[in-house]
Amino acid sequence: MLNYIWLGLILAGVIAALSTDITDLLTDKYRNEEPVDIVLTLQEDIEPEAGKEAEGSIRINMEYLHSFYGLDPADQREQNFQVYLTFSSADAAVVRIPAQEEFPSIWNEMIEAQPADEDELTGTISILSRAGTATYNAEFIPEPIRFAVLQKVTNEGIVGYASIAVTIALGLIGIMTLWLGVMKVAEEAGLVQTLAGGLRPIMVRLFPDVPGNHPAMGAMILNISANMLGLANAATPFGLKAMEELNKLSKKAGTATDAMCTFLVINTSSVQLIPATVIAIRASAGSINPTEIIVPMILTTATATIAGVTAVKLLQRLPVYRKQLD
Amino acid sequence: MMTALQILSIAAIPALIVFIMVFATFKGVKIYEVFVEGAKEGFQVAVRIIPYLVAMLVAIGIFRAGGAMEMLGTLVGPITTFIGMDPELLPLALLRPLSGSGALGVMSELVTTHGPDSLIGRMASVMMGSTETTFYVLAVYFGSVSVFRTRHALPGGLVADVVGIITAVFVTQWFFG
Repeated sequence: MLNYIWLGLILAGVIAALSTDITDLLTDKYRNEEPVDIVLTLQEDIEPEAGKEAEGSIRINMEYLHSFYGLDPADQREQNFQVYLTFSSADAAVVRIPAQEEFPSIWNEMIEAQPADEDELTGTISILSRAGTATYNAEFIPEPIRFAVLQKVTNEGIVGYASIAVTIALGLIGIMTLWLGVMKVAEEAGLVQTLAGGLRPIMVRLFPDVPGNHPAMGAMILNISANMLGLANAATPFGLKAMEELNKLSKKAGTATDAMCTFLVINTSSVQLIPATVIAIRASAGSINPTEIIVPMILTTATATIAGVTAVKLLQRLPVYRKQLD
Repeated sequence: MMTALQILSIAAIPALIVFIMVFATFKGVKIYEVFVEGAKEGFQVAVRIIPYLVAMLVAIGIFRAGGAMEMLGTLVGPITTFIGMDPELLPLALLRPLSGSGALGVMSELVTTHGPDSLIGRMASVMMGSTETTFYVLAVYFGSVSVFRTRHALPGGLVADVVGIITAVFVTQWFFG
């Protein structure tokens, strides 16, 4: 199941990216290689030649630019943008245009799709004719954009998320270490066992294959209690401790037991009583009563948990899943 | 109510730690030694989940960056609209099991643009608080014990997610509609 879902996520992402990219190419969304007419004014009246760098501005008729890309008509007529040029010959230059508020939306999309990290649109300028002192009629060709979404998949999706995953895992080290230590102390003092004792009747029903006095019970109860109180950073270490204990009862390494699956679903359906983050966001957005969602939320989360546990208890009887335990 | 909750959430962790340490000391537990003994595994556990988390998050990253979510949205959109869910909430509902931080971002944006006391704002709040990031929990919990055959855990978790989203719609309408 997990194998197929994993493949499904990857395939869906790549297929969606490709279909958007191919549509963009077929409809020529970015007008690749097509010149935009501009008027170029250099800051100083220099003689353009290969290797020279210059600063200046380009003037574009916005109405023309918007119809060039087939966008909705612009509200401004003429617009000047600052540019930085590096001449490659007497009448051609590589150009960088720093992003500005007045940019048409498609230019911002193009900046994101261009490989450079800088917040600027790059391309080439060809000078057509001299129009006055340091002023030229010219053409601007933005760097062509192909497979922009697929590129985003590579940069953000693959490379980006791989390092996010490591950052998250490393971020867990501190709180994991802390709470595993605290829990050991609570265990030695007999606190966990006391807590587990009171809830044993429910726990034994939920996890029939875990002995009532097993350390896993205590860890699971701590995890569920921490979740209920919204102490997310304590809940995870307790939960992982519980998994470790449950794993000791497993007869087949690498395979989830029934108890593990039940415990996991209780965690994914979240049994929060105090949604601290949600309340904080509502309060900062100016809600009259930020906590009013607590009761509907508890009803919802209880329904989801009951549904999840019921599903997991029914699913575990299926021959497909039974077979995996042998 | 707000202040009481705030105090509770600020005080809970220090209070819990102080209580456990003081109680254990009375019971004759050598707390420092035992703490260090228990804490030793923290590093290994965190490192052990890295391959699982990378596998899961990269797949989710490809799914999101490729724009597959918007396409999935157009597929299930008619169904969710039919049960009375505003189309604005669809991205949140789809993102909730995949990415906790992503969903939180969408939720705060919805709450800010539509107002926290609008039906959309309330529904988004209930949805956000009532389920967890299933795929993340699955990767971290099973990863920590090197379990890769997850059997019926994911289907079970997704049932809880779907029921949670649908219930959030109905319960919010019932309470505030």
